[in-house]
Amino acid sequence: MVQFNFKGITVVPSGKEMVDIILSRTQRQTPTVVHKGYAINRLRQFYMRKVRFTQQNFHDKLSAIVDEFPRLEGIHPFYSDLLHVLYNKDHYKLALGQVNTARNLISKVAKDYVRLLKYGDSLYRCKCLKVAALGRMCTVIKRIGPSLAYLEQVRQHMARLPSIDPNMRTILICGYPNVGKSSFMNKITRADVDVQPYAFTTKSLFVGHTDYKYLRYQVIDTPGILDRPFEDRNIIEMCSITALAHLRSAVLFFLDVSGSCGYTVAQQAALFHSIKSLFLNKPLMVVCNKIDLQQLNALSEDDKRLVDEMKAEALKTLQIGGDPNAEQQVLVTMSTLTEEGVINVKNTACERILDQRVEIKMKSKKINDCLNRFHVAMPKPRDGKERPVCIPQQVLEQRAKDQEVEKEKEKRKLEKDLENENGGAGVYSASLKKHYLLANDEWKEDIIPEIIDGHNVADFMDPDILERLEELEREEGLRLAGEEGDDFEIDGDNMTPEEREALNEIRKRKKALIQEHRIKKSTAESRPIVPRKFDKDRQFTTERMGRQLSGLGLDPSKAIERVRSRSVSRGRKRERSVAADGAGDDGMEIDNDGKGSNKRLRLRSVSRSRSRSRAPVEEVIPGEGFKDKEQKVKAIKLGKKSVKKRNKDARKGEADRVILNMMPKHLFSGKRGIGKTSRR
Amino acid sequence: MRLEKCWFCSSTIYPGHGIQFVRNDAKIFRFCRSKCHKNFKMKRNPRKVKWTKAYRRLHGKDMTQDSTFEFERKRNRPQRYDRINTEKVLQAIPKISKVKATRQKDHITKRLSVGRVNRRTEDRRELEQSISLVKAPSVLKEDATLTLPKQKVTVSYAQTENTPMEE
Repeated sequence: MVQFNFKGITVVPSGKEMVDIILSRTQRQTPTVVHKGYAINRLRQFYMRKVRFTQQNFHDKLSAIVDEFPRLEGIHPFYSDLLHVLYNKDHYKLALGQVNTARNLISKVAKDYVRLLKYGDSLYRCKCLKVAALGRMCTVIKRIGPSLAYLEQVRQHMARLPSIDPNMRTILICGYPNVGKSSFMNKITRADVDVQPYAFTTKSLFVGHTDYKYLRYQVIDTPGILDRPFEDRNIIEMCSITALAHLRSAVLFFLDVSGSCGYTVAQQAALFHSIKSLFLNKPLMVVCNKIDLQQLNALSEDDKRLVDEMKAEALKTLQIGGDPNAEQQVLVTMSTLTEEGVINVKNTACERILDQRVEIKMKSKKINDCLNRFHVAMPKPRDGKERPVCIPQQVLEQRAKDQEVEKEKEKRKLEKDLENENGGAGVYSASLKKHYLLANDEWKEDIIPEIIDGHNVADFMDPDILERLEELEREEGLRLAGEEGDDFEIDGDNMTPEEREALNEIRKRKKALIQEHRIKKSTAESRPIVPRKFDKDRQFTTERMGRQLSGLGLDPSKAIERVRSRSVSRGRKRERSVAADGAGDDGMEIDNDGKGSNKRLRLRSVSRSRSRSRAPVEEVIPGEGFKDKEQKVKAIKLGKKSVKKRNKDARKGEADRVILNMMPKHLFSGKRGIGKTSRR
Repeated sequence: MRLEKCWFCSSTIYPGHGIQFVRNDAKIFRFCRSKCHKNFKMKRNPRKVKWTKAYRRLHGKDMTQDSTFEFERKRNRPQRYDRINTEKVLQAIPKISKVKATRQKDHITKRLSVGRVNRRTEDRRELEQSISLVKAPSVLKEDATLTLPKQKVTVSYAQTENTPMEE
């Protein structure tokens, strides 16, 4: 059975405290804001909620108290008796009962007021009702205040009770005050019980634990018992009596044979006999303590007789088994001061307990189940024949062989030895190729090339590579022979060098034409059309015509004649500038024979690098359309101005909106020297 | 040691060059230089990048199928070393490479010869059509060849005092 956990009971608040706690909780955890303008239902709900919330909390708290405190009927009789001894059963029950009624009362109050709230017609009235309800609940709690205080006291004390397991192997120590019970307890357990010369040093039960044969034993120290009628005993004595009465344990009755506790042997014997009814069915031992002060055999006759009587009683409790040293088991002597016999006492007590428990178990029904589960079989020898160990012959031979192999291993030379001979680890490098399995052992140390000319040799490895190579070369020969024929055909149609020349000339002419056309096209609008008579550049001369015609292979003389005969040539002769002729044309100039007015008969070799000199820009050519020099200059300036900005932007014209680089790197990357780069 | 091929441009990767990238599915990509590596990282398809061998082979610029390719193939089975065979192989490799090279060259030549022929015919046509730019038709009638006309040049001597050369 699980032992009741007295330490797990929640704290019982006092009346005032409880009221405070619950009211503040109500205030915190329910809505607080309400206006009289709200709908009446809402107001009612608001206050009903508060009332119900408070009631619920009280209910919870009080229920917790009632549930957590142990019901005296439901726990081990030892505990219920102990509680009764300590706290008075009736008082305890009354207090819990009051708490219960308080709970019910509060529920009733809440119910009533909630019903009333349903018909509240204004904020003020609802509020009053709620105040009244809460007030009544709190009064109820105030009334049970003393009970709550009492219960708190009980709880605190209960939590400090020693945790005694009623079902464990237990040794109970009892006797008159000051006989040496607590000292004995201190000796055999780790408990540190107060030991003082005055009586009733031990005022309540103390528990210690000790071990014997790998089992744990509880040792309970009780306060001293005086020889009084039962009804006169005080609470402290009642504790020990309770323990004696309810705990199934071994009882060690302590006897002070020296009388130094202040009581004679006779008194102690009297006590013994008065409580011997409590010793029923418990292994009893009479322990004579303080024999360092007084030896057992040195006792007086009367005392000895009394002791024997006690022994006789104790013998009765002994198990019937016919133990030879029964007396030893029942009456023991010891001295806690000199520690003589202390261990012996403990051991004897533990043995007695064990025996008793085993007996009980054997008698119970459960033991049969255990016994049925195992069975130890001891085979009986059927005849007297000897049967020794048998090892087959093969195994013995194998063993011998293994031994031989090991011996061989020790003789064989290892690679490691070889290394050591030849200079050690850093000096000698083992030849990894030593154990290669090749067709011819001379090939072991060959160095194999892995790469040739950018190819892997391993990719070409083939046993019949040479045959394939031969085939390949044959194929190649055939192919090449076939291809030579093709080549001839293609090369048939070739141009002669003269034709090449002509073609180049044609292409040059075409290019020149195209270029001219392009220039003309781009400047068509701005270029004035100047009539022939104002041709300063001498573009349209007969010489030029003559050159061109002879370039084509024709004879130009007749054409020039025809032209000259028609033109008015007198005025013009003088205007010819000296260095005007034929730059960049064919080396030899054609002289106008016939009627040309050219008196220059000298041959002139014209250097190609000579540039044509032209009239200065500002000079007004009559056909252009300007009034005078100023106007022309101004016009030129205006023209240039309109173009200047565009040229600076490298734009070809007005319509040129090309952006070559949409995202130049220097604008879209990099950190700034100062400033932010949050936008680009 | 093996010479590998660059995954992107298919050139050989010599030891100490390039980068090897192992993907999570354990496929290995080898690159001969950072150009190929960067192109790969840009997720470019080598079959679309003009200067790679993959493109050239795909678009028929380079020779694709030939018996010389059969000689050089990666064999995964290890072979026992045989000096005689190895010697044969070492002799054969340069010859095979030569044959392969000539065949590749011829392939390219054949491919380009078509263009050559076209250009020739075009030149001839241009010459025939545009000869009139350099040669007058009447001259062409007399001299039917498609060449530049012979120009008549009249040379005149400078009239200086005649100093007969004294003997």
